[in-house]
Amino acid sequence: MQISFHIPGALREFTEKKGTVQVEVEAGVSLLEALQALFAAYPGLRDRVLTETGETRRHVNIFVANENVRYTGGLATTVVPGMEVSIVPAISGG
Amino acid sequence: MIGRTLDHYRILAQIGEGGMGVVYRARDEVLNRDVALKLLGHGALDRVGPDHLLREAQTASSLSHPNICTIHQVGQSGDDFYVVMELIEGRSLSDLIVSTGLSMETVTRYGTQIADALAHAHDRGIVHRDLKGSNVMVTPEGRVKVLDFGLATRMEREEISDVTLSYSSLESKLVGTLPYMAPEVLRGQKADHLSDLWALGVLLYEAAAGQLPFRGKTGFEVTSAILREPLPALPATVPYGLAAVIQHCLMKQPVERYQRASEVRAALETVQGATLQTRHPSEETRGPRTLVLRGIEHLAVKNKDILLLVGTNKGAFLVRSSRDRSKWDVAGPYFHGQGVYATAYDGRNGRHRLWVSANNMMWGTFLRSSDDFGKSWTNPLEASIRFPAESGTALRNVWQISLGRPDEPDKLYCGAEPAALFESRDEGDTWCLVRGLYDHPHRPRWMPSNGGLTLHTVLPDPTNKQRIYTGVSAGGVYRTDDGGISWQARNKGIRVTFAPEKYPQFGQCVHKIVMHESRPERLFLQNHGGMYRSENHGESWQEIGHDLPSDFGFAMLMHPHDADCVYSVPVESEEFRCTPEGRLRVYRTRNAGRSWEPLGRGLPDKGAYETVLRDALTTDALDPAGIYFGTRSGKLYGSRDEGKTWKRIVEGLPQILCVKAAVVQIDGVSTARMTTQQSKPARKKKSVIKSEKQKKSR
Repeated sequence: MQISFHIPGALREFTEKKGTVQVEVEAGVSLLEALQALFAAYPGLRDRVLTETGETRRHVNIFVANENVRYTGGLATTVVPGMEVSIVPAISGG
Repeated sequence: MIGRTLDHYRILAQIGEGGMGVVYRARDEVLNRDVALKLLGHGALDRVGPDHLLREAQTASSLSHPNICTIHQVGQSGDDFYVVMELIEGRSLSDLIVSTGLSMETVTRYGTQIADALAHAHDRGIVHRDLKGSNVMVTPEGRVKVLDFGLATRMEREEISDVTLSYSSLESKLVGTLPYMAPEVLRGQKADHLSDLWALGVLLYEAAAGQLPFRGKTGFEVTSAILREPLPALPATVPYGLAAVIQHCLMKQPVERYQRASEVRAALETVQGATLQTRHPSEETRGPRTLVLRGIEHLAVKNKDILLLVGTNKGAFLVRSSRDRSKWDVAGPYFHGQGVYATAYDGRNGRHRLWVSANNMMWGTFLRSSDDFGKSWTNPLEASIRFPAESGTALRNVWQISLGRPDEPDKLYCGAEPAALFESRDEGDTWCLVRGLYDHPHRPRWMPSNGGLTLHTVLPDPTNKQRIYTGVSAGGVYRTDDGGISWQARNKGIRVTFAPEKYPQFGQCVHKIVMHESRPERLFLQNHGGMYRSENHGESWQEIGHDLPSDFGFAMLMHPHDADCVYSVPVESEEFRCTPEGRLRVYRTRNAGRSWEPLGRGLPDKGAYETVLRDALTTDALDPAGIYFGTRSGKLYGSRDEGKTWKRIVEGLPQILCVKAAVVQIDGVSTARMTTQQSKPARKKKSVIKSEKQKKSR
């Protein structure tokens, strides 16, 4: 199945300027597996979305459909066909 | 023996002989397969008794792991005790090391498998006790098999002394074993999992260097080398990461070693990844060079210009002037919106490279460099400063980028948050965590200060390649004398104000340490309350700030040509942290801290509640020296007469976190990474030599 990822402006330099990219994954995979497919296609994203310990960066939110995955099982959230994944910088500042 | 049958094993041929006995190829007549059968010699049996040995062999036979030679059976036939095990076709690691030498990739690949085998056995309470090259087989497919787990007999103290006294006349097995024995075992302690890790270190050293680390003509010489001599340096071809793992296995004190084989395996896996990265030059992982911000009017930098690299909490700015240092151009912000806590200018080896650590609140911290004065920057796909996955630690920020010594022009250091030191030996392409400090037993007890738990100061000793000082908030001063393997707290005499114990061994909140290259035994230190000087490489410290309006401050600067002269910008108290009475003053001592004078001509006399942060005070190292500092309110000041008079260079910048100054050497080439072999004397050194001459002629 194909998953669509919405890429924030700051990271589009690593997706050939594309705001939405599709990756092919098997049905029923976790968000982490879908992300790994995304990172394999666009390697500049990996270290910007996750820390080296494999956690989502503190000020980055990932939404599957319209749900922040922090409340739906984190990177273990199951991704189903037709769902869209959005990587969004959190509200923060300083 | 050939042709004889023990139980249902028919002995076919002798295939080896070791300390434990003779090894035969035998036919298992029941299962119709060939096996290895070791007939245990009576010498071994006499030492510990057959029951004990059989029990241990039986325990070892419970191990089932792809890198451990499987024991099928332990048996007794008449007077003969024997062990039946998997027959492994291949060569021993000691053969391979001698005959072919091993690539670094091979060393880490074999090492990972051996460590995994040890981890499996140790988890089940089984210690090898006699790990060495001849006990490790490598199959034609490259799989490692460790032999003889748990089979080695324990040597008693008297036997060890026999070994050391009569090495040359020993049975061959002891000659082979002694160089792998851990210091504590030589002292008579029982071999345990940590002495196995020592043996693994010896094996890795031998595989990487082609020779044993501790050698000697007699047993006595070998023993005394193991007990007392420092580990001989590994060849320069051994990658830093691998060298660090080996050194960590070979710490004389067991508590300072890795504590688990799984840690060694994880560290080797990290090195394996890095080795692969190094083998495929990092061009692959370096993204497109980009213009960071189209709106920036870049600087036109000429040879011998003065360049200031200003890091702020919202990006980096570049500021330049011609040699007269009177008129300044400003360009930026580069990496707008990102916190730039560290910058550096690398002018060694013909480079003119700018370094910036750019901390993006959302997307993490990346090191970026530019070889064309900011027109384009490296844009790495992967973070080059990263903690090993098994550490469970994630990088928060990079607080310091320090150059290695002038005669090590490809070396760089980074100080990180959480507090850790990283080192690069390839001009910043790849970086490695300095494990010796990261694994220091004090580290879990370091406390984060206001800015976080940071390693913010890295000072390599210019005259001693093995010595480096680091400053940690709040951990204190740590010094290594062996190139980063072991680190000692050097805080004697430094007071703390935030704990009941006034002079603890560590835990001080040091803000900055400086040194003059002509006098490396002397250090100056700005602490969280208190200024100090050491005349003995940090062994002890004396307070020197009595004469100042406040001994609290962050920034400290060494005069580039005068080892008695230090600059500071004191701030009022821990709570207020602004210049006292709203008066902006730089203070200077010219007698190593006995007295201090205010330098204020051209600086605001009132209403200036300013703070100068720890890396925001710098010099261009010309003669007379230009001194520059930036404030938290975004003002940048400069003096071209060593601080006598000051001028505001620019104001209205974001909060200034750090300022570095450099004199640009271009030599007609202005772009691209230079890989020229023509090493030139470092710029800084050159100007020091010049100034000394000038001083003499005055």
